[in-house]
Amino acid sequence: MGILDKKLSLRDRNKMLIGVWEDEDQLMAGASEIAHAGVHIHDVYTPYPVHGLDRIIGARRSKLARIAFFCAVTGLTLMTTMIWYMYVHDWPMNIGNKPVRFTPSWAPVMFEGTVLCTAFGMSFFFFWRNRLVHGIKNELLDIRQTDDRMVMVIETTDGMDEKAVFNMMKNHGAVELREFHNGVQTVL
Amino acid sequence: MIHDSIIRDRLVTGDKTASDVTRDIARPILNNPSTAWKVGFTLSLIFLGIFGVSLLYTLFTGIGVWNINKSVMWGWDITNFVFWVGIGHAGTLISAVLLLFRQKWRMSINRSAEAMTIFAVICAAMFPVFHMGRVWVGYWALPLPNGFGSLWVNFNSPLLWDVFAISTYFSVSLLFWYIGLIPDIATIRDKVKSKLGKTMYGFLSMGWTGSTRTWARYELISLILAGLSTPLVLSVHTIVSTDFATSVIPGWHTTIFPPYFVAGAIFSGFGMVATLLVVARKVMNYENYITIGHLDAMTKIIMVTGTIVGIAYLTEFFIAWYSGNIYEQYAFTNRMFGPYWWAYWSMMTCNLIAPQVFWFRWARTTPWFIFIMSIVVNVGMWFERFVIIVTSLHRDYLPSSWVMYSGSLTEIGLFLGTFGIFFTCFFLFAKFLPVINMAEVKSILRNRE
Repeated sequence: MGILDKKLSLRDRNKMLIGVWEDEDQLMAGASEIAHAGVHIHDVYTPYPVHGLDRIIGARRSKLARIAFFCAVTGLTLMTTMIWYMYVHDWPMNIGNKPVRFTPSWAPVMFEGTVLCTAFGMSFFFFWRNRLVHGIKNELLDIRQTDDRMVMVIETTDGMDEKAVFNMMKNHGAVELREFHNGVQTVL
Repeated sequence: MIHDSIIRDRLVTGDKTASDVTRDIARPILNNPSTAWKVGFTLSLIFLGIFGVSLLYTLFTGIGVWNINKSVMWGWDITNFVFWVGIGHAGTLISAVLLLFRQKWRMSINRSAEAMTIFAVICAAMFPVFHMGRVWVGYWALPLPNGFGSLWVNFNSPLLWDVFAISTYFSVSLLFWYIGLIPDIATIRDKVKSKLGKTMYGFLSMGWTGSTRTWARYELISLILAGLSTPLVLSVHTIVSTDFATSVIPGWHTTIFPPYFVAGAIFSGFGMVATLLVVARKVMNYENYITIGHLDAMTKIIMVTGTIVGIAYLTEFFIAWYSGNIYEQYAFTNRMFGPYWWAYWSMMTCNLIAPQVFWFRWARTTPWFIFIMSIVVNVGMWFERFVIIVTSLHRDYLPSSWVMYSGSLTEIGLFLGTFGIFFTCFFLFAKFLPVINMAEVKSILRNRE
C-alpha cells in the first residue's frame, strides 16, 4: 500500500451518485441507512468534521499515531547522536573539570529535537497521505461543500439499484440529487 | 448518545447557521478594510517604524546605546524577551491544553490566540538576538561545523536550550496554526472573487475538499500535535526560567522558577488574549462567537494563574528567610524596600491583588472592565520580569559593583516597537485570514453533548 490514499481522487471512476444535505443529523441517518443496505459510500464531503461518519463509510483507523512514534524515536536518536558526537567525541569541552559524558543537561535539547522531528515528520506524512499539496487542483463537487453543504458520493457498481439509493437519500432529507460521470455533473 | 444539552449555555449565540458563520467570519476578508482597521494598522506601522529606527541606531552605533552595564547586564531586553515569550503561551494553552481537556469554548478563540503566540515569539526573539551585539554572527548559537576546532556549542547551557526551545516552539506553533487554518483557507478559496485571491488561497489550501477520510485523520493529527505542544509549551518557559535558576545570583537560584514562570506565562498570555478579543469582538461584530461566557472563562483562568503567581512570590520570600542565607534574604528585602520598591509593589498590586476582583461575576462579565484589567495584568507581568532581573543584578555580592539601572530611550523604543511588530502582524492576519476557526465553530452550533 502506498502512502497516498488513492480513494481521495475522483478521477477515472465509474458513475457516481451524489446527494447533497444541509442538515448533519439527516445526513447521518441517511448515511447509516445506506450503509446498512449494503451500499458502499465512497466518501462524504463536509465543511466541518462530522463525528461517526468515518466509521459509517468504512474508513480505516489511521496509523498516524504509529508514524508519530516512529518520528519521535528517530528524532530522539538523531539528537542524542548529535550531542554525543559534538560534545563527547569530536571536541570534549572542559567545564569545571566535570566529566564529559551523558548528563541530564542533555535532556532539554533531546526533548526539543524529538518534538520538532515528530511534529514535522508526522505532518509530512499527513499531507502526503491526504493528497494535500501546495498548488494541487482541488476536486470540488459542490462549491458550498466547504461552506454549509454536505456531499455524499457513492460509486456505482454492477447491479446497484441506483433508484433505491436515490430514494434513500431523498427520504433522509437530501436537498439535491446528482449524477457524476466522466467529469460532468447532472442535477436530477 | 448525542443529544441537545439542557444544562450548558450555547457556545455560539444568535441562532447562527453554518452559512451565517462563513458569512460573518469571512466578511473582513472578502470586503474592503474598515476605517477601524485602517486606523489600527496605521498606528501599528508607526510603532513598527519606531522599532526600525531604534534597531538601526543600535546596530550602527553599538549595544552601548542601551543602558545595560557590567552589573545589570540584562535589562529591558531580557525583560521584554521573557514578557513576550510569556504572552505567547496562552495561545498554545488554549489550542492544545484545552483541546486535550475537551473544552469546546476554546474553538472561537483558539485561532487568534495561536496567531498571537506566533507573533509574540517573533517579538521575543528580537531581544536575545540583538542583545548579542554582533547579530551577524548570531548563527554561532547553532551547532554548525566551524573553523574553530571545530568548537561546538555548550549543551550544558540553558541559553543554548533556549535556542532549541524557542525555535522548536515557534516552528511547531506555526505548523499547528497552519494545519488548523487549511479547512478555513479552503472556505475562503471557494468564496473569494478575485483571481489573485483564488490563486493565493488555492495555493495555501493545498487542495482541501473536506473529505470525511481527511477529516478523521485531521482530527487525529490535531490531537497528537496538541499532545506534543502541551509538554513543549511547559518546557519552553521552564527553560526560560532556567536561564535564571541555574545561575548563582541571589533571587534567581530557586527551584520554584519553572512552575512559577509557566503560571506567569499563562497569566500574562490570557491577559493579552483578553485585551485583543474584547476589542476584536466589538469592532468585528463577533459578539455572538466570542460571548460573555468566553470572557467569563478566560477571566477565571486569569484569576487562578494570578493567584498561583502570587503564592509563588510569597513562597520565594518564605524560602529566602527560611534558608538562612543572608544574600538571599537581602535580595528579597531589597526587592521590597530597596530603590526599586515601586516596581515590586506595582507587580504585587497588578498580579496578585488586582485579579482577585474576578471573584465577582460582574467583573468577569463586563467587557470594558476586563479590557482595563487585562492591561493591568500585562503591566504587572512586565514589572515581574523587570523586578526579577534588575533587582537581583543591581546589588550582588560585591557592594563596590552596585549600580542603578533604567532603560535608555533606545531600549524603550525597541520595546514599544515590538508592539508595532505584534499589531502589524495581527492586523494583517485579521484582514487576510479568518480570525475565528470557522470549521470548528460550525461543529458546535448545536449544543450537543
